[in-house]
Amino acid sequence: MAIIDARTLPDASPLEADMVIIGGGLAGITLARELAGGPLKVIVLESGGLEIEPETQALYAGSCVQKADGAKDRPLDSYPAQSRIRALGGSGHVWGGKCGPLDPADFAERPWIPYSGWPVTRAQMQDYYDRACDLLEIDRFPLEWPTPTDQALQPLALDDEDGFFPAPRVFTRISGRTDKPAFDRFRTQFAEAPNITVYLYANVIRIRREGDVVTGLDVACLDGKRHTAKAARYVLATGGIENVRLLLASENLGNRHDLVGRFFQGHLTYSNDSDTQREGSTFAASRAAPLDLYATAQRFEPHCVIGAGLPAQKRMKTGNFTATLFRANFSNADATVGADTQTLAKTATKLDQGQEQSNLLGFFAMTEHFPNPDSRITLDPSQRDALGMPRVRLTWVHGRKDHEDLERSIDGLANALGASGEGRLCWSLRRDELLAVSSASRHHMGTTRMHRDPRQGVVDSNGRLHEARNLYVAGSSVFPTSGIVNPTLTILALTLRLADHLKSEKKAA
Amino acid sequence: MSTRRDLLTALIALAAAPGLGVVAAPFSDLDRDAVRRIGQAWRDSHPGATSRTLSARLFPTGRGPEALPALRAAVAADFRAGRLFVHRGWRLSDTEGALFALLAMEA
Repeated sequence: MAIIDARTLPDASPLEADMVIIGGGLAGITLARELAGGPLKVIVLESGGLEIEPETQALYAGSCVQKADGAKDRPLDSYPAQSRIRALGGSGHVWGGKCGPLDPADFAERPWIPYSGWPVTRAQMQDYYDRACDLLEIDRFPLEWPTPTDQALQPLALDDEDGFFPAPRVFTRISGRTDKPAFDRFRTQFAEAPNITVYLYANVIRIRREGDVVTGLDVACLDGKRHTAKAARYVLATGGIENVRLLLASENLGNRHDLVGRFFQGHLTYSNDSDTQREGSTFAASRAAPLDLYATAQRFEPHCVIGAGLPAQKRMKTGNFTATLFRANFSNADATVGADTQTLAKTATKLDQGQEQSNLLGFFAMTEHFPNPDSRITLDPSQRDALGMPRVRLTWVHGRKDHEDLERSIDGLANALGASGEGRLCWSLRRDELLAVSSASRHHMGTTRMHRDPRQGVVDSNGRLHEARNLYVAGSSVFPTSGIVNPTLTILALTLRLADHLKSEKKAA
Repeated sequence: MSTRRDLLTALIALAAAPGLGVVAAPFSDLDRDAVRRIGQAWRDSHPGATSRTLSARLFPTGRGPEALPALRAAVAADFRAGRLFVHRGWRLSDTEGALFALLAMEA
């Protein structure tokens, strides 16, 4: 119907609909798009405007510290404000557009990983992944990935028993960084439907409830105006950090079992360059043919990463792991280190394939961040934003198992590559260096985890809050485990699943 | 000072089995200093290794054409068993470490 600036409404306007979606990011928009043109009257409440604005962005400010076993704490206080976007389209404004599904192993209960297991399988998600791909105008990801025929696109010939496989990644143009006009259409056109109204600059600052029923929302604008919103059903879709903030600030809604905000999971990437003593993170490929399947000429081309499937994880007693290969300039800072690299790579390729010249590539490693109740978001009542909301404190913890598993996975991949005659791997980072050299992703997961048992999850398998029968949560905060791939495609797939559930629930009613 | 080629020629003469050049040749163009460094790094953790023991280990049936496939198999077996030699972060098989040590000794 329209996109309306909530600041232009008369003060204390009552906003009413069948459903209110809190948050106009990619999850909220996807849900609204699914409901557009349908029988339900839907309101989307977005904190920001159409574009990024510092005043709105400042509402995200908080504190963050990263902790890891045996490492010095790393303060990242700018992270809460800099790792997401508060405007219609959400963090899609700065998203690079990389897409991939979670692996079947990510959904599995793995006894060696505490708190693992989703209440849904990868196969059950396939239809939703397909629809999410269609929405993002990318090729679908079949459960069995076809083997390419082009020689340059041949996957590494790793033995099946090793359990490593090529995991595909593609890029959508539906992102603010890739194709802004296409992204703008994606995030605004749905509002033309007669049953949809988007309110901008409409910040939800409190969820009101009576018993197990949400009864309304307090909405605030930065200019001082206050409104209320009321619906039969509500969907919280403000991201993996802000979902927690709003629940905790609403008299601990959903937190009967002290789970809201715990299990924060965020991906880190690890790599290093060479120095005077050691080589950086490098893969010496033994085959003469280029590895275009993995290391593309251009950054935003479809490619594969080397992933650890369930057999590999089971054998190594690790979680998910990927190595992303990239083309790099190998002019080593130290001639001695460079000469050693060239010599051992040349020897390996002669032994492996009878070739004369190896193919040196850089790589970075990522591991699944294991669910950890001590990795958590809490509120700091002494620090409040311009709307009076308490600011967040993020304590982002990597336990001993996270880094032990990274090292075991590196060794496992090195062994698989060497045993298969595909090359050698260099990994020279010490355990105590890992946190300091890591790069933090913008992926915020796990803080309102999905579980059938209310004592183990904040939302049920449909995304409904265990403690409120008319409030649902969308987004990566419901992920029980993090996998490794960028979460956006899975966020959209889960949101489509939620949309189907909400539609069927309405029909049943 | 002997050249690398001189040493290889001498090795051919000393080899128990004919055809040493078949195996030596693929490695004759390696950076000598790098071979020495890598070989020495392996020897640091295997102080008792001699060229005789290494040769017996790496080329038990001589250095003929069959030696290279046998080396490849030994390398693969090392990786399968997790017998690694780590040099400047590189995960190499123990067999490769031994090969560098032998090449360094024979150079």
